[in-house]
Order: sequence, then structure tokens, then C-alpha cells
Amino acid sequence: MSERFYDKQLPNGLLLLGQKMEQVSSAAMTIIVPAGAAHDPAGLSGAASIVNEWAMRGAGERNTRQLNDALDSLGCQHHEAVRSDHVVFSTAQLSRNLDDVLGIYADILLSPRLEDATFEPSRALIAQDLESLEDEPAHKCSLMLRERFYPRPLGANVYGTVESLAAATPAALREHFGRRFSPEGTILAVAGDIDWPALCERAEQLLGDWAPTGAAGPAIEPPLAGIEHLTKDSAQAHIGLAYATVPLSDEQYYAARLAGMVLSGGAAARLHTELREKRGLVYHVSASYHSLKNCAGVFAYAASRPELAQQTFDMTVSEIRRLADGIEPDEITRARTQLKSALIMQGESTSARANALASDWYHLGRLRSLAELSDAIDATTATDVLQHVRDHPARDFTVLVIGPKPVDTGILEQ
Amino acid sequence: MNLKHAKLDNGLTVIAEVRDSAASMAAGFFVRTGARDETPDIAGVSHFLEHMVFKGTDRRDPLEVNREFDSMGANYNAFTSEENTVFYGAVLPEYQDALLDLLGDILRPSLRGEDFDLEKNVILDEIARYRDMPRYRVYETLLAEYFRPHPLGHSVLGSTESVGALTREQMLAYFERRYAANNLTLVGVGNVDFDALVAKASQMCGHWPWAEAGRDLAEPAGQCGQKIVTDPNVMRQQIALASPAPTSQNGDRYAAMLATTLLGDTTGSRLYYALVDPALTDEASMVYDSLDGAGAFLTFMSCDGEKASQVVEIARREMAEFQANGPTEAEMQAAKNKIASGATLKGEVPMGRLTAVAYDWVYRGEYVPLAEQIETLFAVTGEQVVDVARKYDLDRTMLVALGPLEKL
Repeated sequence: MSERFYDKQLPNGLLLLGQKMEQVSSAAMTIIVPAGAAHDPAGLSGAASIVNEWAMRGAGERNTRQLNDALDSLGCQHHEAVRSDHVVFSTAQLSRNLDDVLGIYADILLSPRLEDATFEPSRALIAQDLESLEDEPAHKCSLMLRERFYPRPLGANVYGTVESLAAATPAALREHFGRRFSPEGTILAVAGDIDWPALCERAEQLLGDWAPTGAAGPAIEPPLAGIEHLTKDSAQAHIGLAYATVPLSDEQYYAARLAGMVLSGGAAARLHTELREKRGLVYHVSASYHSLKNCAGVFAYAASRPELAQQTFDMTVSEIRRLADGIEPDEITRARTQLKSALIMQGESTSARANALASDWYHLGRLRSLAELSDAIDATTATDVLQHVRDHPARDFTVLVIGPKPVDTGILEQ
Repeated sequence: MNLKHAKLDNGLTVIAEVRDSAASMAAGFFVRTGARDETPDIAGVSHFLEHMVFKGTDRRDPLEVNREFDSMGANYNAFTSEENTVFYGAVLPEYQDALLDLLGDILRPSLRGEDFDLEKNVILDEIARYRDMPRYRVYETLLAEYFRPHPLGHSVLGSTESVGALTREQMLAYFERRYAANNLTLVGVGNVDFDALVAKASQMCGHWPWAEAGRDLAEPAGQCGQKIVTDPNVMRQQIALASPAPTSQNGDRYAAMLATTLLGDTTGSRLYYALVDPALTDEASMVYDSLDGAGAFLTFMSCDGEKASQVVEIARREMAEFQANGPTEAEMQAAKNKIASGATLKGEVPMGRLTAVAYDWVYRGEYVPLAEQIETLFAVTGEQVVDVARKYDLDRTMLVALGPLEKL
């Protein structure tokens, strides 16, 4: 697989990243803007989500419908998402349409209309998303766990609260947009069938005049952490557990990822084997690695019928702790193969590559080639993984359970 | 890129769309069986059997099956629908033989009693899991109400009672009838060594018996009416509509695909502008469910309970308007571009192309390269789309509501 990477920073701070891929006719684009939920103004949580929705409702010469129709007629598949540090605009289209799509997104970034008339429906949709969480306990469990686990406000719930959404006004959110949408810290990454010099020229012409705002990041406070149970008359108990690990930029990152694979990398990994295959306790149990810039966590989730919740909780904790007792060589071999294979297969998708470019640069300030990743994974031994698990033992769990009855968390004291 | 095709003596078909430049290969066994092929006394057996396939054979115990998939770094899974049970994996090309050795072996599962009893608990938990998902419940209720008494209305998961009462012997009898060689297709996509694929299939599957699998292909009538399921524990009102649509085998299916994109794509469609854009619903989407000898247009919306009547009225009005006047030329162009672009992006990854290639074969016995499908799509006219909407009649609906409301 050919790997040709490019990067270029414009004078205003905007960073352009590219990967030229052979054998594809598409080009995908990911734009990350440092205006995520962690930057929501005090009392206005959910601001990033509303702004993200609102910014798509007309920009530059186009009103809402014209903007939508323009993207549709270019066959552009687009998604908008809000994360901790960033709002994310992702698009995928045939490469011949990339230039036009870029033109539309330059309007969205630089001159969204943000009209009074389109504000209320934007807010109302986020309010409905918030309410929908009550019908999606698994999703709610993971969002609320993240909110409790990370230092505040880094894990902030992107949908805000009923009160904060009600407090949002067009004026306040316009001001928020003006402050947070800045070329500094914004990354525009493209992957696929691209012409890099032409792309740079076009980006510079469209976005070169975007003025930086110099907005500072949020003040960080300790996490809420602890144990919380939310009573709900649900068919399953939804159990979330989180503990700290090293971030993506840490030298033990690969060891942390391999430890995560041993725990939950596939059907033969420990959580699935012990809880589902051997005991039939659950249909779903998993643990995933998640990293912000300076902190990271392992987030485990299991759901069981309520009468099996205690056993499920205790087994999940025991399995996580058991990693420190030792890891078999064949577990590490499998983990390495799985991690490398997933990377190569993701490498076939232009969208996955555009996301990876933006993520690499955000976390590391550079791009990693497939060869580098592969070598780093191969070079990580079972001893490294065990050392990592012992250096960063699973403790001080943050726990969130949604279900009919609380679970006894006494095992955490043992 | 071309299609290779072979048939074993026992009736098992092997096909592959080969693209040597791909970084990976994907392969899957497509069994022509699902909930519609079940009788009520074995409701849920197809899905339960799909789980049991991973529980091992005479050569491998359940944990070995999992370890082998993980050892080759396979991206693999299985799913069961109303009419297909599919086992698939994507791997780097050097693992083609290992993947086929494993898939070919587990498709003849031991169905050991102790594994059956243990896995039944997992299925019961999965049924509980879906009970916590109102969007899934409304989908399942809609199909049941629309298709009844046709077997296409059967629940894929079955119920706690039906799965609870299921015996290993019932499953074995179902397996022998439905997993016959002639009722399966092995499909490969991407960087596939086709000769090796056929040789391996002969070795692994050549001895599988032939059987009269069959399927009741009576066309469902499609019920009209309204069903309200009141559940005060559900916050958002879920509303779903079903109406007749072309079968998988019908040439109208391209026009049907365009009609759903025009009316109910998640962005830029008629329902999007009428319902989501003004925030009357947080979701409005329409899909074309093309089935074996049957078809349905399915529409899903969720909203505040107090807005439900208004939402239904607007959705019906949009469908009637579409049926009366059809799409504009600009809408047609955008819908075609969206579908073509989506299919192209998906087709760049072998795993994304696997089910499309398989279903062309399983449903229609044909192979159509993606470029040719896109050409056919672009040739469809607005008149053809509106003709299909009228012929099948979007107004002939079954409506299901699930949520806090007692009436609409």
C-alpha cells in the first residue's frame, strides 16, 4: 500500500494534512475545530452541539436548503459530531467533487448565517437528543460515565442539560462561535485520490484569510469520579466502569493498547471468554481504550439481566484486575495480529484514513506511517505489557450503573 | 474486476468478485434461511443457531473457534434476518485458507447439549437488551403487524418463551433442512485467490448433503391499519409506517431506491425538510426493504408525544404530494449522486462490497458490476419513480406507534 503523506501550515495557524491513496476514486475530508463540548461556556453546556447544528443551516450565499442540496448534489456524505476538544465535520465524496465540497465547508467555517430563525429548531433538536437518551440506557451509561471519569469539563455531556439548553440564546451562541471557531488548532485532513499542490492552493485561497481569535482553553478541575446508580425500570442492568491509563502520546501507549486487546480485543479476549462464553452471563461485554490529549481511560461496559448484575459486575472487575497477574504469550501474539490487521484494513477506507491523520497530528504533532505503527506493535513484548499493567494498575474505578437495583460495589474495596 | 463462479456437485455455489489490488479479502457463507422459514413452535431458532455455529465442531471447541478468528486478525461476525443467515470475515489475503478452513468447519456445528444450554442464556439476555431499545421494538412490531399472517412478520429473536422452550433436537432438525449445501452460497470479494477458494470449498464443503430446503414464496398481502402500543416508560413517541414496495426480483427496484432517497433520506429529503429541519421530529427516515418475492417501504420517526398527530399528518401529506407530482429534476440528480457516491465509497473496501455481491446472486442469480448498476440507476427517470410510487401506493399503510400515547 502506498503511503504518501503531506502537511502544510498556513500563516493563520490552520493545518492541512493529506494522504494520497491509490486504487480509490473517492476523497474523504475531516475537519476538527477546537470548539468541542469541553469549551462550552459556563451555564451553557450543549453550546457546541447547538452551534454545530446551527452552522449547517445556511452559510455564505446559501440558505439551509441550498446548502444541503449543494452537498447532496455533489454526492457528499457528511457527518457532524461534537467531541471533548473538537467539533468534527467529516465528508466523503468522489474525488472530483472535493474542491466544491471544500468551498461549501469554507463557508460553514467562515460565514455561517447563524440566523435567529434557524436557532430555535437547532436547539430543539439537541433537546430531543438529550431526551432520547432516556430511551437509550446503554448510550446514556457510556456518556455519563465519561462525564464523571474525566477531569471537568473534559468529559462534558455534549447534549447539555434541560436548563442549559433553555438558557442558550442566539446572541450568546453567536459570540461563542466567534470566539471558538478559529484557524489555530483547526486541522483539515484529506485522504484518497487527491492532488496535494492543487488542494493546498484551493485551501489557502478559501481559508487563508480566516483570522485567529486567540481563545484560551477551559480551566480544568478534578473529576467527579465515584460511584453512581441511576434507578430505571429497564430490561437489563447497564454497568459502566472506567479507570485511568496512559494517553496516546505516552511511550507506553502501545503496551496499553495491547493490554486492552488482551482484555477485550475479540471473542477470545478475556472479558468475552469469561463472562459470555464460559458463564453465559451477558450478550455484550467490552472494554475500550479512549484518549484525550493529556489523559486517557479504559471504559468497560457490560449489560445483563438484572438478577445477574451483581455477578456480572464482580466478574468484570476481577477480570480487569487479573491482567496484572500475568499474560500468556499467545494472548500477546493474537493482540498484535488483531491490532495490525485492523490498521491495514482501516487503511483501505478514505474516511478512516482522514480521521487517523487528524487524530495523529492532534495527539502527536506528526503523522505515523503504517510501517511505524506495525514496527511499534511488533516491538512491544509481553514483558512491556505486563510492566505497563503493573505501572498503571486498574484502581480508583469510576462506576455508573443504570438499572432496577443498585449493585454492591464492595469488591472495589478488596 | 470480474466475477468468478463455480458450483460444487452437491449444489453449493461459490462466487467471487476479484480485485487483486485490494489490501484485504472478505468471504462469507450466505445461508438462505431466516425467521420467515420458521414455524411458531421454533420461533427464534435461526438466530439461536447462528450463535451455536460459533460453539464448535468435532475439531474445535468454542474457545478454539474464537482464538482462531482472533489469531488471524479477522474482522468477522454473523447476522440473521427474516430471510438470510450470514457468516463472514475479512482478513489479509495470506489468511484466506485459514479463514475458509474455520468458516467451512464451523458451518457443521456439533450443537453440544451443554453449549446449547449455556448459549440459551446469552440469547435470553440479547432479547432483554433489545427490549431496552424502543427503536428496535417499533421496527419489529411494524413488520409483525404489516406482514401478518405471512411468515415475513416473524420476530428474528423470537420471544423469551419460544427460545426458552426450544430443544436441541428441534434445532438439529432445522439445521439439517436449512443448512443443506444447495441452500448456501460462498462469496468472496477483494484480493481473492479464486482457484484456491474453490479447492478449499470442495475440501471443506464437498461432503455436505443436498436437501429440499425450499421456502414459502407466497406473496404477502400487506396489512393496512393502525396499532398503538402504549408504554409509559418510553419517553419519545416512536412512529413507523409500512406500505407495499417492489420485490427484490422486480425491475422497479431502482426506482424504489430513488423514491426512498427522495422522500426519506436522513438529510435533504422531503421528510427531512418537512419534519427534521423544523425540529418536529428528531428523526425521519425511510428505507426500502427489498425481500425475496416481497417488499416494503418502511418509514421511522420519533417525536414528542404531543406532536405525534401533526407529524403523522405531515408525513402522509408529503407522501401524497410526492405521489401526485413526483420529484423535480434537481432532486432526482441529487438522489442519484448520493446513492452512487455511497455505493462507490462502500465498494472501495472488500467488506463493504460483500453483501451487495452476495445479494445480487442469492436474490437474482446475477452479477452486475458496480459501474453498471450506477449506469442503470442514472437512467431512471422522474416519471418512472412517480409511477412506482403510484403503482405500489404509499398511502396504503400500516401505522405502528410505540411510546407514551394511548391514542393518536
